Amino acid sequence: MKADNKFRSEALMLSVNTQGNAADQAELVNTKLAQQVQVIVAEVGKALLGKDHQIRLALCCLFSGGHLLIEDLPGMGKTTLSYALAKALGLSYNRIQGTSDLLPADILGISIFNQTTSEFSFHPGPIFSQLVLADEINRTTPKTQSALLEAMEERQVTIEGETRMLPEPFFVIATQNPVTLAGTYPLPESQLDRFLMRLRLGYPDQRAERELLEMNTERDKVEAINQCLSLEDVVGFRRHSAQVNASDSLLDYVQRIIAFTRGKDEFHFGLSPRGSLAIMRSAKTWALMSGRNHVIPEDVQAILPAVVEHRLRAVSDDDGHSGASLVQRLLNEVDVIE
Amino acid sequence: MELGYQIPRPALIWILIAVVLVLLPQTIRMPVWISVVALFCVCWRVLIFKGRLDYPSRMVRVAVVLFTLIVSFSQIRNIGIGLDSAASLLALGFVFKLIEMRQKRDIYVVISLCFVMSMVAFLYSQSVLTTLYITLVVAVTMGAMIALNRNSLIADNRGTAKLAIKIAVQALPLTIVLFLVFPRIAPLWAVPMQTGQNSTGVTDEMSPGDISALGRSAELAFRVRFEDGVELAHEQLYWRGLVLDNFDGVTWRRTRNSSAYSVATSLADFRISYEDRIRTVGEPINYNVILEPTQQPWLFGLHLAEDVDDEFFNGRNFELFNNGRITQRLSYDLSSFIQNQTDVLLLDSSRNRNLDLPNDGNERSREFARELRESVSTDRQYANAVLMHFLQNQYFYTLNAPLLGDNRIDEFLFDTMAGFCEHYASSFTYLMRAVGIPARVVVGYHGAETNPYENYLMVYQYNAHAWSEVWFEGEGWVRFDPTGAVSPTRIEQGVQEALRDDPAFMEDDLFSAARFGGIGWLNAMRLRLDAIEYEWNELVVNYDEDVQFELFERLFGEVTEQKLILLMSSLAIIVMIAVGFTVINIEPRIRRTPIDRFYLSVCKELAKMKLVRRRGEGPIAFRDRVCAERPELAAAMTELTELYVRLNYVEKYLSEAEQKSELRALKTVYSKLKAKMPALAGLRRGV
Repeated sequence: MKADNKFRSEALMLSVNTQGNAADQAELVNTKLAQQVQVIVAEVGKALLGKDHQIRLALCCLFSGGHLLIEDLPGMGKTTLSYALAKALGLSYNRIQGTSDLLPADILGISIFNQTTSEFSFHPGPIFSQLVLADEINRTTPKTQSALLEAMEERQVTIEGETRMLPEPFFVIATQNPVTLAGTYPLPESQLDRFLMRLRLGYPDQRAERELLEMNTERDKVEAINQCLSLEDVVGFRRHSAQVNASDSLLDYVQRIIAFTRGKDEFHFGLSPRGSLAIMRSAKTWALMSGRNHVIPEDVQAILPAVVEHRLRAVSDDDGHSGASLVQRLLNEVDVIE
Repeated sequence: MELGYQIPRPALIWILIAVVLVLLPQTIRMPVWISVVALFCVCWRVLIFKGRLDYPSRMVRVAVVLFTLIVSFSQIRNIGIGLDSAASLLALGFVFKLIEMRQKRDIYVVISLCFVMSMVAFLYSQSVLTTLYITLVVAVTMGAMIALNRNSLIADNRGTAKLAIKIAVQALPLTIVLFLVFPRIAPLWAVPMQTGQNSTGVTDEMSPGDISALGRSAELAFRVRFEDGVELAHEQLYWRGLVLDNFDGVTWRRTRNSSAYSVATSLADFRISYEDRIRTVGEPINYNVILEPTQQPWLFGLHLAEDVDDEFFNGRNFELFNNGRITQRLSYDLSSFIQNQTDVLLLDSSRNRNLDLPNDGNERSREFARELRESVSTDRQYANAVLMHFLQNQYFYTLNAPLLGDNRIDEFLFDTMAGFCEHYASSFTYLMRAVGIPARVVVGYHGAETNPYENYLMVYQYNAHAWSEVWFEGEGWVRFDPTGAVSPTRIEQGVQEALRDDPAFMEDDLFSAARFGGIGWLNAMRLRLDAIEYEWNELVVNYDEDVQFELFERLFGEVTEQKLILLMSSLAIIVMIAVGFTVINIEPRIRRTPIDRFYLSVCKELAKMKLVRRRGEGPIAFRDRVCAERPELAAAMTELTELYVRLNYVEKYLSEAEQKSELRALKTVYSKLKAKMPALAGLRRGV
């Protein structure tokens, strides 16, 4: 909560300042975008109390055109978040429940012989929607996982020799239980890498919990969420974020971060170029969401845990949960100004 | 082959190159078989690396140790304990270590030995060329160390070489400083040079007719520089070495004192009458001589040379002796009165010595001398008559003199009539003594070549010469050079001119530069190189305790113990600081923009007020914290941070000029911030 306030105040302050300095059209657009973000965050926040920062990160991920992985214990609001996002952004929404007997065809769709027309007709699977929630993805078998992940990467599916485009925009929000739970097939690093961000929701703080308890069930709240953004706005975010300026100083900082992961012995492996691109892409969107058309180190720091945690692994770590402490090291030890 | 550490290929190549380079100058001095063993070991090492041969087995190693032991013992028996035997033993151990080099630590041993071998090279020679060569060897050895410690993926030889050269160049200033100030301590022990080494130059015995051809080498004997720009004519450049006054019919020798009594008398004579023995005329000529090692104790100088620093012994016949053999290049200052008369009064002992001849033999010469003496009235006329005899008869100056038998003076004077300076000096002196005129043979050098670049003289081994000194009543010893009567060019223009067409002259030095003196540019280059060598000797090789002391005195005034300690310790501290900085700076240097630098200095100021920017804290986060903790600074801090963020993160590119103007703006804002800070500082002090 505190963190959110900080970022919000900063966004306001800077947006006001920059407006004062150069009140050109671009700045106005930025301000408009920042205000839109605040509206959405507030709207989604109605369903997911006290998780403004996570909502922002999830939005940042979607606006950057990336897929989101939410990892937490059952019942923490993973599904709520994804459904709320779909509603607030006005996207078509489908949900796939991962089970151990789920097959690729159950996701992608199937051709069925129609006896009246004597033809095969294609019945699209749940993947054909703008926002797909792949719930408990690590409960399905690797075969199904990879079918889904291929669709995520290619943004198209090939069924029975016919290539079908997925809708635009196409987002996947996958949720997974912590791998330590029984009955899970952990996603390998190569597939984790496909997700732009991995979020953890965490327990709500006391005030939010109290508020939650005083209110009705969550589901009603989600139904009450209004669409805040048109499809054009969502696409516009992606277009604008590509034009956000990253100065030399900032790129230096990002490079220092990357070099740190590659040079130190504690890291089992360093960040891949895809990982470093992910940092830049997310940081630009984050800057845009804060009403700026330039990236500052704080943007990078804000998105760094979500973008990098699942891509890093300590040498002494076997279950892939050391990313958080490594990211903390990155934040504390890589200086903004060398 | 057991598995284990594999020496990286580039490192091995570098080490082998270093080993070969460091052994190369030694091969000239070491027995040939050591070079063969070394080559064998290097090849074995290469084959081990290629997997064709194994490391030496236990048996082989024991055999090698035994072999080395036997070899060292035999060497000590043959040539004695000394530099040569020690150096070859070291070289043997060095190359044997090469084949059993398995671990990294073995390589370090070999590398350290490379450095030691480099130092050994300096024991033999300290010339410019050697120094440059050893510098190269050191650089290559460092290249081996670098290659050994480099990741095999990034190790390219060019980079290694560059780094090695860089390190060598970096070491240069430290080397110079250490060279200048490191205490010159007299050696605690001396390395005996091998006595078996052939000594060159003038010897203390002369037997004309024993050898038919006199090899004349173009090796340098010594260099001379006259002070006050004195220039002497070529015929005056007689560099006296030894006086040979004992003749047994074959060989001229120095008279050796046979008993303690004779030593005492001669010393007594010498001491009492030294002042009376010389009559000084004219001004002294001062000059400096740098003598190449001769392995003999005697020194060379002009007529009646006195050493200025009084470090040598004066011989009975005005010869100069060093205390011990001259095994290293020796520089000394002399002062000569070239017109002096010596021994105007000749003591009986000396007269007898200089008249002594074998009782029989050479009858024809004695007869000839007697007849000639009777035909003239004075001794001087007689001496000139003998010279005229040489001049008017068919005497030849040649290096290819025929061998002579028992009555060699007779044979030379009347039969062969061909010879070189020794023959003429010998027979001239004999003819003098035969009629009762005291005379003696002097050996030394005659003539010199002037080096125009540094204005000094070079005297070569082929300048070696022998002449006579004759004593006349009232005149003392007078120099006579019978060779001059036979071959005037030899005396006026030098031996090179006189023997221009003699094939025996410098037969051994086929490619000697002096041989090709006719080629202008080659000769100029030779003289130029020698000039460099001369300066090197003057400035570097001769830099000893005294020169060092002088330098200190010139720099710091009177040299006291405290000053010395202060100098040494301050230098040590400077060196340590310099090394420390280098170690710190091994990390690539961070290049900050002026804006960053300024921002960091602001952070430093704030840190003094306990507002420390944390590592990894961005400017906005820092500003927020500062504003929260010190609301008074909020306005200025916000303005400053905003400007900084704009400069650093908003603008895509700033030109130098823009950077400057923006920096100025930043500084203006900072002054605002600073205006608020003293109050806070006061606050902090209050706390």
